[in-house]
Amino acid sequence: MQKSEVHLSRRPIPLPFILMAVLLVHLPLMVMKLPLKSYDTNFHIFFASHYLQHWFDPWNTKWYAGFSQATYPPLPQQWVAVISHLMGLEYAYMLVQLIAILLLAVGVYRFSLLWVSPRAASLAALASVFLGSESFLVYSAGQLGTTSAAPIYLNALPFLFEWIRFGRWRAFLKATALFAAAAAAHHATLIFGSFFFALPVVALAILDRHEGEEDQKSSAAALIARTVGIVVIVTAIIAAVLLPFWIALIHNPVTQEPIPHASRANYILSPFWGINYFIVPYGALILAFPFIFMRGASVRRLRPLLIGFWVAMLVGLGGTTPVSQIVLRRAGEVITMERFSYWATLLALPFLGVLITELIDRYKTRAVAVVCTLAAMTCGLAVAWSTIHPPDAQEFDTKPVADWLNRDGHNNYRYVTLGFGNKIARLAMQTEAGSVDGEWNSGRQLPELTAHGAGQLTSSKFFGKNGIDSLRAILEHADHYGLKWVFVRDHYYDPLLAFAGWRPVDNLNDRTIIVWSKDGVPPATPINTPQIPPHWQGLMWGILPFGSSILALLVLLIPEGTPLESRISFPSPAEEEYASGRLAS
Amino acid sequence: MRTVIPTLLGGLALGITTAFAQSGDLTMPKTIEAGAAFSIQSAGSGKGTIYIAGPGQVIKQDVQLGAGISIPAGSLYNAGHYSVWLTSDSSTQSGSIDVLPAQKLSDITFIAKPSRLPVALHNAITGSVYVFDSYGNLITKPMQISFQLLNPGSAPQTRTAETRHGAAWTQMDSAAREGKAQFIAKVGDISSTRIVGQVPGDPCTIKMNAKAAGNKIQLVTDPVKDCSGNAIPDGTIVTFTASYGDAKSTVDVPLKKGIASTVIPAHRGAMISVASGVVLGNQIRWAQ
Amino acid sequence: MSNGSRLLAVVLAAATVALVTIGTLWPSKSAAAFASGAQFTTSAGTPEAAVRTLGEQIRANSYGRAYEALANKGEFSEQQFHRDLTSGWPDLRTYATLSDFQVQPLHATDSEASVRLKMQWSTVVGPSISTRELHLVRNGSKWQIEWPIQKEPVVPPQVIPVNYLRWDVINRGSADDWGANDVEAPHVRIVDMHPVQRAEGLVLLGELLNEDVIPAYVSVSATLLSKDQKVIDTEGSFDNISHQLLPKQVTPFLIRFPNVTLSQVGSVRMTPFSTLISASADPVIEIQDEKLTPAPDASLTGQLVNQSGQIANVAHVMGTFYDQSGQVVWVGDQYVDHALLPGTPIAFNIHIPEDLARKVSSQRTVVATYSFGGAQ
Repeated sequence: MQKSEVHLSRRPIPLPFILMAVLLVHLPLMVMKLPLKSYDTNFHIFFASHYLQHWFDPWNTKWYAGFSQATYPPLPQQWVAVISHLMGLEYAYMLVQLIAILLLAVGVYRFSLLWVSPRAASLAALASVFLGSESFLVYSAGQLGTTSAAPIYLNALPFLFEWIRFGRWRAFLKATALFAAAAAAHHATLIFGSFFFALPVVALAILDRHEGEEDQKSSAAALIARTVGIVVIVTAIIAAVLLPFWIALIHNPVTQEPIPHASRANYILSPFWGINYFIVPYGALILAFPFIFMRGASVRRLRPLLIGFWVAMLVGLGGTTPVSQIVLRRAGEVITMERFSYWATLLALPFLGVLITELIDRYKTRAVAVVCTLAAMTCGLAVAWSTIHPPDAQEFDTKPVADWLNRDGHNNYRYVTLGFGNKIARLAMQTEAGSVDGEWNSGRQLPELTAHGAGQLTSSKFFGKNGIDSLRAILEHADHYGLKWVFVRDHYYDPLLAFAGWRPVDNLNDRTIIVWSKDGVPPATPINTPQIPPHWQGLMWGILPFGSSILALLVLLIPEGTPLESRISFPSPAEEEYASGRLAS
Repeated sequence: MRTVIPTLLGGLALGITTAFAQSGDLTMPKTIEAGAAFSIQSAGSGKGTIYIAGPGQVIKQDVQLGAGISIPAGSLYNAGHYSVWLTSDSSTQSGSIDVLPAQKLSDITFIAKPSRLPVALHNAITGSVYVFDSYGNLITKPMQISFQLLNPGSAPQTRTAETRHGAAWTQMDSAAREGKAQFIAKVGDISSTRIVGQVPGDPCTIKMNAKAAGNKIQLVTDPVKDCSGNAIPDGTIVTFTASYGDAKSTVDVPLKKGIASTVIPAHRGAMISVASGVVLGNQIRWAQ
Repeated sequence: MSNGSRLLAVVLAAATVALVTIGTLWPSKSAAAFASGAQFTTSAGTPEAAVRTLGEQIRANSYGRAYEALANKGEFSEQQFHRDLTSGWPDLRTYATLSDFQVQPLHATDSEASVRLKMQWSTVVGPSISTRELHLVRNGSKWQIEWPIQKEPVVPPQVIPVNYLRWDVINRGSADDWGANDVEAPHVRIVDMHPVQRAEGLVLLGELLNEDVIPAYVSVSATLLSKDQKVIDTEGSFDNISHQLLPKQVTPFLIRFPNVTLSQVGSVRMTPFSTLISASADPVIEIQDEKLTPAPDASLTGQLVNQSGQIANVAHVMGTFYDQSGQVVWVGDQYVDHALLPGTPIAFNIHIPEDLARKVSSQRTVVATYSFGGAQ
């Protein structure tokens, strides 16, 4: 039998091919609306539904007896609202999320080009399609803000490099516009991304300042001046674009009691959360850790990227190490840690591209087979995780509850649900009645909720004593808030309601949901609070964030003379410092 | 802009002056009874429109000026003060008319309170009557009302009252025997009936008996009745308390078939008492 | 790979391992809260450590691990141990989680020791405390706990005649035009009301009587008015009242106004609320052996005995405390976290604030119960 010779191309994988791979993997899942099973998808759709009806008024009365949506950057949700005119809210969400994944592949390719060869960058981009953390955030966590801001940010970074390294004004313009759009999508990505992503890029520009033609060389002072310049300008623009957000944050800082979140667990002492927040997001990438450390340490220009990856990974380990507590301090009690693992995996992708390149060069089709299998398993596990460990195992219809609230004047009063999990966002979209509960903890202002360190009232029992204290406090003040209805899907709460003077008055969904009522509660009235954004802030909120994305799209249309690959050309570490096929020294 | 406001003010003043200059009075009755027909005499010639506006009612009708304008029976039926305007291209005439309630009684509204009360209470039942004509206007002319409270097994109570500004009220005593009383208000040949539930009052005396039941004590009350002899309803809570040393035992028992019964641990020398609401019963010292 | 590069890789890897080790051996509070009771630091080297380990395992619902470490596990099954802690019948403890615990050494020799374990359970109606005194024996280098099992009471087979009273209410339907002719609300009356200044704010105490012949759902709210008749605050009695009152039944109530002082208050507007409800006269609960224990640790103790055949899953005991003149000086309460089985006494203990205990001359106790499945 004659052994066949397999020829594997050493050229980069074309970007259209990578985008096709994105569609191949994620389009069917989006058509199936798989993200609807995640924790936060309904939350984002709920926000979008408000923008759909009140584009210029961020005050939403359906949760927390009223809260400001200006406490959360609006861009992806506003896009969902706009696109929903064509295909409804759910498919609009799926489309926006799919576009974010497509943009991620492009962003990873462009970002990786700064560090590795075009071929390795293309493999990194292809790997992003199968990235466990991306699928975890999309299908289990439902973090539209994070997964849409990161791609925009990654796409901005090469322009940042071009501006700092070469002083190109066109790059300055594009970087600024994209940074503003990224901030409008998710503020935390921009704030923390500056440390994990932008600082390594700035360090790279400084390290590379003597590379290239004579006219491309810059002094360190010039680089620093350009860095300071763009930081100042971008900060000013972001301050303006998200002004209502900053005003809300300054006037109402998040001083509420910290709410426990499993991403802050120690993943060794809590193995399940270790699987959830480490094994699933990283997947087979864990096998590449030794390579990342060794290659990152041995190649000088990759060291900033290695440090960025390392710190992000340590913070993403939550309570497994003391790093997140030390680095984030108070912020670590508010934001969740899985996004740091997501960023760490994005920072690891350029290394992964190099590793795959070298594996393929050395082991040919065997390497391709193994890498493809590992990629498929990583992506498969992360996608399947939303089914293996469903964020919300309770599948039931909230429509009968909404119908009940919407008839006979029941919506003149506020309501709260118990045992509804993350269905409360869906219910809020279906009914005109307001609730005192909600899923956006940073936006709530009711003292009964902020004082006890518990999350949603509907899941009070999972927050232990704090959760029950919070529920008791809000039920005690039912008259203040016009809270007359409690929809109970978990009989755990029955004794509290019974002894607190509530009575079952109706049942829904084949008696699986009991409606409890309190007599003598006055109808709900709008609460008057200084948190209500004035009209001018509503106008800003409706115009500037969305406008920043339109502006970014327009600015990107300004043509470039040469492709990015040649504009930021550099000696590839994989080619320069390592002989092909030599994986580790 | 500086000339616009004076021009507008001037035009408004001219319009008002013209309107007053052309207005005149209509000839019509000062008062009518609700629903009655009447006519209005107007001056001038040509076509016009008459507007009659009052409490909850507006009439608009095209008319011929100079002729009598007939308003048919049943047109104005809400009692109150009405304003009348007759407008044409060249003039405006106005007037007013008062519509009084019809003299004939058509309906009464009778409110009896409370719908449930204990027996043997003096002036505890209140009845209020409002008299109306066929159009629902309160008849302000004084009318005689008779109230009657019919209790089963006892003589009826009767009161009379005269309406003042369309309303009259009275007070009655609840009967000594429990049961449903008929409270009737009557004006002429129109009457209205309400049912008033008379329920037993507080227990008058509570007497309990104790007997040994093994190492426990069985406590049983006599049938519990109020001071009028009515049986206290089942479900009424009777509290038994046994005090011994520095401790005590308590049990709230509902009456069943008129008596309360329970079993409590026996303690030598225990002082056992019984009560219901604010009424205390007898005491027993358990000597066994 | 140069030595410098290798050093950097080694340093980063070593630092990662060191940080993970630190985070695991000394987990942060939030991380420890999620831990499944499998901490590396568990030990049974001292009596206190052994009991602390047991507490951690109970807190993490690791009943199997806790049972395996017991010295007297041969005397009962793991299931009995589990039921001893979480109840065999559905009640408050069944769904409770151990939120905290304290360990107090009482006595120790070389071979045996006594330790008190005070457990704070988080239940749906608030915290519930239970205390066990544990005997420990030394087994080699380890201390093992002899768990004082309290086996569930067994209700003997019997027939309890059910002859209960029940009231049903037929309210007017939406299509009916009965207006004010609907059944009148029960007549209730506040028979006592008294403000008390406490460190945490003003407290209104009182008693409410159902003077009608039908059962009533009741609640009381109060509005404090300042001396210039401006509203200071409005609060309700919440669960410090028995909301279902049968005819001639009296309930105490307590309304808290945090951060309000009596000197601010010009007047109080009390608003009792009553409405008709469907109700049952069962179960009848006897309160046995009520005793007032004077300060310190002033309390009202006693036992609840269910005289009916129906199990009461949750009981709420409320004590009204009076001074010598018969005026209410305090209202205390306790949720009983064990189900009331027919004829089986369950103890209760209502704490009385020490400063008020001296004034208490007499008391009156009422019990409200809840049975699962009672809701629609």
